[in-house]
Amino acid sequence: MEESPYIVEMRHITKRFPGIVANDDVSIGVKKGEIFAILGENGAGKSTLMSMLFGMYEPDEGQIFIRGKEEKITSPSYASHLNIGMVHQHFKLVSNYTIAENIVLGVEPMKKAAGFLPCVDRKRANEEIAALSKQYGLEVNPTDVISKVNVSTRQRVEILKMLYRKAEILIFDEPTAVLTPQEIDSLLRIIRNLRDGGKTIILITHKLEEIKQVADRCAILRRGKLIGTYDVASMDTKEMANLMVGREVALTLEKAPASFGKTVLSVSHLTVKNEDGFPVVKDVSFEIREGEIFAIAGVSGNGQTQIADAIAGLLPAAEGKISILGKDLAPLDIRSRARAGLSYIPEDRQTTGLVLDFALSDDLALRRYNREPFEHRGVRDQKTTNTFGEELIGKYDIRSANGVATIVRSMSGGNQQKAIVAREIEEDAKLTIFVQPTRGLDIGAIENIHRQILGERDKGKAVLLISLELDEIMQLADTIGVIYSGSIGKIAPASEFTTAEVGEYMMGVKHA
Amino acid sequence: MSAESKKYLKAAVLSVLVSLLAGAVVILILGKNPLSAYYNLLQGVGLAPKPRYGGGQSMLTDLSSYVDYWTPMIFAALSYAVAMRCGLFNIGISGQMLIGGFAATVLVGYSGLPAGIAKPLVVIIGILFGMAGGALIGYLKYRFNVNEVVSSIMINYIAEYVISFMIQTSYIDPVSRQSRAIGDNARLSFHQVLIGGYKYDLPIGFLIAIVTMLLVKFVFDKTVFGFELRAVGTNRTASRYIGIHVGSRIVLSMAISGALAGLAGVTYYLGYVNSIQPRVLLSTGYDAIAVGLLGNNDPVGIFFASFLIEIISKGSTYLQSQAGLEAEIADVITGLILLACACNFYFMERMGRKEKKHAERN
Repeated sequence: MEESPYIVEMRHITKRFPGIVANDDVSIGVKKGEIFAILGENGAGKSTLMSMLFGMYEPDEGQIFIRGKEEKITSPSYASHLNIGMVHQHFKLVSNYTIAENIVLGVEPMKKAAGFLPCVDRKRANEEIAALSKQYGLEVNPTDVISKVNVSTRQRVEILKMLYRKAEILIFDEPTAVLTPQEIDSLLRIIRNLRDGGKTIILITHKLEEIKQVADRCAILRRGKLIGTYDVASMDTKEMANLMVGREVALTLEKAPASFGKTVLSVSHLTVKNEDGFPVVKDVSFEIREGEIFAIAGVSGNGQTQIADAIAGLLPAAEGKISILGKDLAPLDIRSRARAGLSYIPEDRQTTGLVLDFALSDDLALRRYNREPFEHRGVRDQKTTNTFGEELIGKYDIRSANGVATIVRSMSGGNQQKAIVAREIEEDAKLTIFVQPTRGLDIGAIENIHRQILGERDKGKAVLLISLELDEIMQLADTIGVIYSGSIGKIAPASEFTTAEVGEYMMGVKHA
Repeated sequence: MSAESKKYLKAAVLSVLVSLLAGAVVILILGKNPLSAYYNLLQGVGLAPKPRYGGGQSMLTDLSSYVDYWTPMIFAALSYAVAMRCGLFNIGISGQMLIGGFAATVLVGYSGLPAGIAKPLVVIIGILFGMAGGALIGYLKYRFNVNEVVSSIMINYIAEYVISFMIQTSYIDPVSRQSRAIGDNARLSFHQVLIGGYKYDLPIGFLIAIVTMLLVKFVFDKTVFGFELRAVGTNRTASRYIGIHVGSRIVLSMAISGALAGLAGVTYYLGYVNSIQPRVLLSTGYDAIAVGLLGNNDPVGIFFASFLIEIISKGSTYLQSQAGLEAEIADVITGLILLACACNFYFMERMGRKEKKHAERN
């Protein structure tokens, strides 16, 4: 048998799902000890390909070779037996267990209590994990409970879980989607350390900058097909983007100079408390004018979504005043606030923004279904609903399998988001709130959403943008407020901030 | 019919066939002929001729009696479906039936009012008291976040024992040990009506059931209210975000569900029978879950599903007398249908999940 240069090789892999070819004759080879990136838009088939390597699906056609030997990977446990580990985009942790318990779960070190009773050796688990985390520079406290630690720690726990199981081939599925700039830097450092320690890393992502920073080689997928495998050093991000999307893309948008009008939203001394009565938003005040994009930058969980929810009426304001065009919102319920001139693109598009089991036409009409001409005396007008849906599909380029009749659950994340944006913008409200509008979306969809946001501003609307993506904020915002621990530390025109400076305020290092 | 309902219909028919087959095996093991046993079921409800009939009886007599028996189940299953539409599990249907039935019995059943007033009054009282029972569960859920399953089971017990106490202290018939029989003026079924030499049972409730079924269908499929119920039932967070008053929808759907259960109660206690047996909670409310599941919680689906389930239930009496099989075999078959249906549901869910998973990955 010829010696293969690859530790992982997938040859001519084809995987079909009802109505779609997720992977079409894809062949890749990963060398031992390299960082290999898999780049592609949402729906390009990156996750499917890696799911086959991890044993969650089996390919319809093609072969997988691990360390030169052909393998049928039938289950994740078999993959783990082959020393393949995966850090999923959505963490799979037991939230009321400690870090150590989560890591050893399923492969617990045992001891005999009182000489014969088998039980988990917690002490040894804690020690082993402390040693492991030190070895790879992944700082965690083994006895902390998962529900009490932050996202980046949880991710480190996932990584440790793989290492504890002696994984040699580590797959990361969109690992930076939930992290702050500083956390991303530290993760990329960890990934590099792992490689230098002899591990093989496969990185699934659509973020070009990260690939440029850490990857040795990358495979680009587009619509299930392999476009090619490239040396990262030999090309720039623009080229990668074009290959990934299949056309010229604008990485930065043209932005017309701002012209502000009168004040639309005014928030003064807003305090919001959580269920335990603890203030999560503390004495926040700001104003947004016509034609202005006001962005709130901050690390996840610092109260920014609560500000949006309080404005929309989903959360009660403990103190303070919120008004739109001088009209106090306090006495209005959720629906009346929307009528008063407020559109809201929520953070969680799948559980808040949409009813996933509804047809697209119904979801697009969610703001209007109870008004003429969408209903007459309590009876819905399906025809008007469908016509309206078709109009929006065309206008906002929402793609789906069966037009307005498509069940929204089956649509891609990008098109789901486009549907929400279409519905909310179409309300023609004075103020539009965007929370994490491009999370998890690919370049093409991001570009589309960003154009919509700028379009609103140029139409003279007020826009409140809440995002964890600093690049997005720097690119779009006219004014930036940085939130840390529930308080907005500094508000200033975007031009007066540098990215690093915003990052420092976000971490609470710098105070106004 | 949408592709989704077609798929469901296929699954439902398949589960029925599979369970009848499995039931046949059980009957074979008991040493009887399954085909003749199933034929006995049909004979028992007047869908096939019996070899002999008593005086003044015919196949149609049996059929009319069957329809009388079937009617409360249509209401009960609709009641289940309305709550389910809003994402609520109304397991208190039997209790709400008892509340409605008892209230109508004591308020109108012994009154001697003229039939033209008494009968509509029975219906209205059934609706109002059932509604109150349902709304209470909905309110507890909305106001104090009490799980509706827990509260409805508890209310079932309370209704059962309080009403038993009241019957045994004030309304008992010393001979039958049941509540005293209501007057025919208040009864929603005409019993033993002689037409052309044969006797029939004619339930007024069946007509109301058909109208109600169509009405619920219309509300579900066409109205803004039905749309909101479905939104709340499938995604409460999104419903709130869009500005639907989730709490009021929960209370309202439980109230309507209770009202339908009340109708089931009066068509049973003041229709098919004319008295209430103390300390017995009907199984109708629980069987309604099987019917709802088999009928995909669609009013029309429920209509046919209840027809089928009640054939097995009512026909079993005749089956017992003819084939010497215990009537409980009916419960076995119904149980099998429920099981097969739940499995189908599981497979459909799994298919759906696979598609969803796949959609999410892409």
